[in-house]
Amino acid sequence: MSNKIGVFVCHCGINIASTVNIKDLVDYAKKLDGVVVSKDYKYMCSDVGANLIKDSIKKNKLDGVVIACCSPRMHEHTFRGVVEAGGINAFNLEIANIREQCSWAHEDKNRATEKAIALVRGAVAKAKLLEPLETSKIKVTPAALVIGGGIAGIQSALDLAEEGHKVYLVERSPTIGGRMAQLDKTFPTLDCSGCILTPKMMEVANHPNIELLTYSEVTGVEGSIGNFTIKVNKKARYVDLDKCTGCGDCTEACRLKARITSEFDEGLGKRSAVYIPFPQAVPLKFTIDTNTCLMLTRGKCGTGPLCVEVCEAGAIDFKQKDEEVELKVGAIVVATGYDVLDPSAMYEYGYARSDDVITTLGMERLINSSGPTNGEILKPSNGEKPKSITYILCVGSRDESECNWCCRIGCMSALKHVYLLKEKLGDDIEINVCYTDIRSFGKGYEEFYRKIRGMKTNFFRGRPSEVRDAGDHMSIDIFDTTTNKLFEIKTDLVVLVPALVPRADSNEFARILRISQSADGFLLEAHPKLRPMDTFTGGIFITGCCQGPKDIQDSVAQASGAAARAANILSKKELESEPLISCVDEDLCSGCSTCIAICPYNAIELDTEKDGKSHAKINEALCMGCGACVVSCPSGAMQQRGFKDKQIKPMIEETIKK
Amino acid sequence: MKEGLKMKYALYPGCVMPTEQYAYEMSIREVMPKLDVELVDLKGFSCCGEPIKSVNQMLTLTLSARNLAIAEKEGLDIFAPCPMCHLALSECKRILDTDTAMNERVNKFLEDEGLKYSGVSDIVSTIDLIHDKIGIEKIKKLVKKPLKDLKVATHNGCHMIRPSEIGRPDDSENPQKMDNILEAIGAKALDYPEKLDCCGGLLTANLPESALTKTGQKLKGVQDQGFDAFIDTCPWCHRQYDSKQTKAGETVAAKLDVPVLYLTQILGLSFGISKDKLGLDLNLSPVEKLAIVGGK
Repeated sequence: MSNKIGVFVCHCGINIASTVNIKDLVDYAKKLDGVVVSKDYKYMCSDVGANLIKDSIKKNKLDGVVIACCSPRMHEHTFRGVVEAGGINAFNLEIANIREQCSWAHEDKNRATEKAIALVRGAVAKAKLLEPLETSKIKVTPAALVIGGGIAGIQSALDLAEEGHKVYLVERSPTIGGRMAQLDKTFPTLDCSGCILTPKMMEVANHPNIELLTYSEVTGVEGSIGNFTIKVNKKARYVDLDKCTGCGDCTEACRLKARITSEFDEGLGKRSAVYIPFPQAVPLKFTIDTNTCLMLTRGKCGTGPLCVEVCEAGAIDFKQKDEEVELKVGAIVVATGYDVLDPSAMYEYGYARSDDVITTLGMERLINSSGPTNGEILKPSNGEKPKSITYILCVGSRDESECNWCCRIGCMSALKHVYLLKEKLGDDIEINVCYTDIRSFGKGYEEFYRKIRGMKTNFFRGRPSEVRDAGDHMSIDIFDTTTNKLFEIKTDLVVLVPALVPRADSNEFARILRISQSADGFLLEAHPKLRPMDTFTGGIFITGCCQGPKDIQDSVAQASGAAARAANILSKKELESEPLISCVDEDLCSGCSTCIAICPYNAIELDTEKDGKSHAKINEALCMGCGACVVSCPSGAMQQRGFKDKQIKPMIEETIKK
Repeated sequence: MKEGLKMKYALYPGCVMPTEQYAYEMSIREVMPKLDVELVDLKGFSCCGEPIKSVNQMLTLTLSARNLAIAEKEGLDIFAPCPMCHLALSECKRILDTDTAMNERVNKFLEDEGLKYSGVSDIVSTIDLIHDKIGIEKIKKLVKKPLKDLKVATHNGCHMIRPSEIGRPDDSENPQKMDNILEAIGAKALDYPEKLDCCGGLLTANLPESALTKTGQKLKGVQDQGFDAFIDTCPWCHRQYDSKQTKAGETVAAKLDVPVLYLTQILGLSFGISKDKLGLDLNLSPVEKLAIVGGK
């Protein structure tokens, strides 16, 4: 029980003061039972404000504090420190949110003041009943998990490993490298994508602190910040990683050679059933495709599998099974990347109808010298060289019927292609670019755009209505909004620049990790400006395109940032635990186990006494203080510290009192 | 739809069908009863309002709402064979069902006649009535003279599929329902590049030459690609393609010779209904070229 409460009202500049009458509020608080001091200041979160609180605590021997200010999400942490510095327990603090829940939401000054008064009255009632709480220490598991082996995941893993932390890098495809490995050159500097990526891939493979798990998927996450237990399914590759030398004899011998559509080549090339996605794959180990291999789908392959016959190392093993491994880590970095919108859904653009309508990633594979055409630009329909190529930007992006957002890379990747195609096919190749706006916002991007505008290229500002197959060519109607004219483009090859979308399984994945998604389906950061790599779940960080579309530069920068955030945790031996967790009144608990079933963190177990009576027991290291058990408990035995019924109920009564 | 159970709709004729495009109405009145659809004629229907929308939207809404209210009073859903009417009525329904203030204003006007719009009546067009409500299976059962791989080009017209956000009978970019219906009676409905092109009809008032050019371009494409027939469901489009075919051909320097039929006409033929009852002698395009019409 606290008897000497101090009330401190913040103006928040004019954020609160313009809508709430501060003087009335301070005067009212002064008269409340138990309040010995009531003060206001323009910015309570400033040094002066903090000192005002500290001094008042000491001078008036306060044992409880109410601060009427912004949301506790903003400054509760700051003010706990201030209260503690004043000499009382940090949890004898109650915040009355009179900004987000009052001044920002209302216009009528009188009624807003009335509401602020009610909120402060309730907060004082609760502050009188608060109990001092102690934080305990949790040991940190000194290892990190990075999910996703694209450029973002690679960068995070390397940064963490360089800082001396053990890193598990889990990648679900057979190789790391991600989307960047599919690219030929990068904008705006035209660096060879492979040349700058593969050294980093090799570094990952050889780093003593990194354990690489490719062709593996995270299937379960338990525990919390500092101590996660991860379940990883290592899918059967049917190739012994220790024996495979990467020679490639198996892929040459495979009966299905050049008959399986290659995902890596965006459907434009073919591979065998035993394959590596690209020559610089890391690890350079072959994988057998479960869905197409004759042995795995039908149980027999001619007179016997040829891959087994030719493999001198004896690495092929059809008896391999999926293997589940468990990892213990202290922090997680999620870098799972993006999917590309399937343009078949937008029937008007002809992707579903014509082979000569491809996507930007498909064009990257055509340009790339290790791609399906060895770098020659050929029409997929007949293998002829195109005389005219047309780019359609914003396919599904900035479009209310598909994706509202901008893909942030489409304009620049198309401009880059213009340059590369002119280089490969000569200046006479006709290139048309149908754009909505050219967004060349990054460093050196605008300069690159100017350079391309100076090359022989037709820019149309507008969205084509339809791509028609006119037999020997494609026909596109476009209304150009800069000239107010309708044009018909006759072209040989159409390249769509589709929207970037969240991974198809991102909902399921977010559920496994217990992290949030924004309305568009991408993973949600804790604060768009100030905590862009954090999630609302402690110890889990996000980076790269899983958080939202971005280019390589931004992905790499964010990846280093996420690694630094994760290192904040890993560099400590111990973390302070959250004291606002559940507790059990053992006398009231009947051991019904309702809470055990409902707890999302597996933090409750049943404890049986010698006399046979059992009751719930909280594992304080695992409890996140979500409160689900409190609500579900039929007898009221479960209580959340800092939010106990006996604290909350008087608060409500006081708040709604007339 | 259970066997033997009849569907009942108020037939909303609109203006073009009863004043000029009689064949559409004749074929509808022949075909629908065969498909167990009872058509009810109600007194007092007025214009749907669509033609004056650009001048007076309030009046358009009120006219549409008035028609819907008349059907509501009889407890009937509305069948509007003209896609333009169907659009006007559907748009009105959408606005009045979501905008309370507009709903009140319009209902105030309707009070004078003792009518009230409450939004309970459904609105169907020829395509969704046949494809979604009646169903392909029923069509298949009724076929007496299958079309034996007749190559047909379908034309939906703009109002049938756009604007997509208010919900139209078929997809705005890849409409397939009419094609499915025609496949069910044995025809071969093939995609063609000009499939979604406008008939040009709405340009007639101010740019008559351009209107005919649009018509001609599309029909020429159809003719050049070797289609046997051109099928539509919109009386406005039909007027362009059927009645004005020769003139349209002149604008693209082509002698056009494409049989143009209403979907309900070709359905009727495959059901064994005589060509007189389906109004085929009113078609101005060379429909007699088709074996099923010529009776050869």
